Amino acid sequence: MSFLLVNQLSRIFDLSEPWILRKIKGQQKKLLKAVDKVNFSIERGQTYALVGESGSGKSTIAMMVAGLIKPSSGFITIDGYNFFSPTIENNIKSSLRKSVQMIFQSPYASLNPRWRVGEVLKEPIKAFNLIESENGQKQRVCELLEQVGLSERDINKFPHEFSGGQRQRICIARSLASEPKLIICDEPTSALDVSVQAQVLNLLKDLQKQFSLTYLFISHDLAVVSTMANRIGVLKQGILVEEASPNKLFEKPEHDYTKMLLSAAPDIKNVSKIP
Amino acid sequence: MKHPFLESDLYYNFKRTPIAVLSFFVFLIIVIMAIFADIIAPHTPFEPLTLNLLNGFTPPMQANEFTGTIFLMGTDDQGRDLFSTILFGLRISLFVGLMAVFLAMVIGVTLGLIAGFVGGVVDTVIMRFADIQITFPSILVAMLIYGVAKGLLPPDLRYEMSITVLIISIGLSEWVPFARTVRGSTLVEKEKEYVISARMLGLSYPQIMVRHILPNILSPVLVIATITFALAIITEATLSFLGVGVPTTKPSLGTLIRIGQDFLFSGEWWILLFPALTLLLLALSINLFGDWLRDMLNPKLK
Repeated sequence: MSFLLVNQLSRIFDLSEPWILRKIKGQQKKLLKAVDKVNFSIERGQTYALVGESGSGKSTIAMMVAGLIKPSSGFITIDGYNFFSPTIENNIKSSLRKSVQMIFQSPYASLNPRWRVGEVLKEPIKAFNLIESENGQKQRVCELLEQVGLSERDINKFPHEFSGGQRQRICIARSLASEPKLIICDEPTSALDVSVQAQVLNLLKDLQKQFSLTYLFISHDLAVVSTMANRIGVLKQGILVEEASPNKLFEKPEHDYTKMLLSAAPDIKNVSKIP
Repeated sequence: MKHPFLESDLYYNFKRTPIAVLSFFVFLIIVIMAIFADIIAPHTPFEPLTLNLLNGFTPPMQANEFTGTIFLMGTDDQGRDLFSTILFGLRISLFVGLMAVFLAMVIGVTLGLIAGFVGGVVDTVIMRFADIQITFPSILVAMLIYGVAKGLLPPDLRYEMSITVLIISIGLSEWVPFARTVRGSTLVEKEKEYVISARMLGLSYPQIMVRHILPNILSPVLVIATITFALAIITEATLSFLGVGVPTTKPSLGTLIRIGQDFLFSGEWWILLFPALTLLLLALSINLFGDWLRDMLNPKLK
């Protein structure tokens, strides 16, 4: 069985007004199908990318995989376990939380501005009781900083003392702190400079090899996706319209929506042709 | 090495805003005088033995016609030195104001955090209750709570507990602005990704609220606390003026103003004027400082 299995996953948001106002105005319930019967799976150590426009349901899927939003129907299993199964035991839920972590889009909002880097990185270690001793925790934090290309000296700095790319490295270090198996990358590079983007993507790739991580990679940047993913799923209004390997998707896109996305992507080769 | 506060923007701007410096030092002087009232005051106004009824109604800075003593701010009908009485009255006013703000802050911040973070029905219940309470003037709410509490207390405790009851009633009448502001900031903060990442660690709601959100929403709370502090002191004075506050034997500024009011039209103006001026100076300095603080901590005005 696949490491991550997403089966007939749907999420409906209720956007309607309160019941009493609806009755007075005679309106129907307003429901938004953010995610509609999506199926996909990822093997251990692979990267699966979800692409699509804003509002296509990418982030909703990410939040459901992370166990923060409950699916309306369908299910997700990670290593055979389901966050929302009614029979799940607390210790399994906790180990599931430990094995799924997330990296976010904005490196500015994803670090608590009042916490020092050391405290940020210690939090997951403390939350999951990974290391008891103060010294051990500090050692682990230094090790994490080194793994993402930062130095021990940064341990007492505040997030605002770092650049966007460095902050994203701190976020990556935080997500590694609990020794996860699956990392959800929700547009991890879209707020970064192009030159920094490449560094962060390379770091993610290196870490994947080192710790045999599985990535669920969410992006709207097709160039980024093509370098990272083993499989790509294209989302349109909550429906998975096409799924293929990067080569096949870029060479022979089948769905019209995929063709449109590909043609909309700015390409450096075409720039010179503009008179 | 310099302390980091001396190099902060806040301190830099403070030094360059004369109004802020002035109001801060006026407030500081008032507080210091209240704290060291025992040392500064020429005599203790609560010791009946030290009072001389012949000193009654001495105008400020004039020798009394019977005893020849000079009083800085004159005396009241019982011969109490007004300056000393005001210093001791300030103590009570400041203490009641401070404790009431603290109470209002604890209640307001807690309810606001819960309303904003949990949302849904909890949010609706708390905020509608706040809406209802804010339609009544806070002085009425305070009087109502004060009256009910006094009625519930056994008669022999009423006198001793009057300051505690006063603090509770003012505190309960001023929590709404805290709750509203904190709720608003919490709604913004809880969508930020650092909170989501804390939720992914499986932390409990109280842990996330206290450790992550609370430190990031404190600056508006600080501003409201300053302004509410002035309000609470005025509310206390109003209640005491109306005769429902602290007892006459432990006069606060409001009680002194009430006593002074009785003699205003018979020519003894100083008994009313000096306590009233002190109250004005105190409230004004806190408000001006609070205004400056609000402008400083508001990122949109920078």
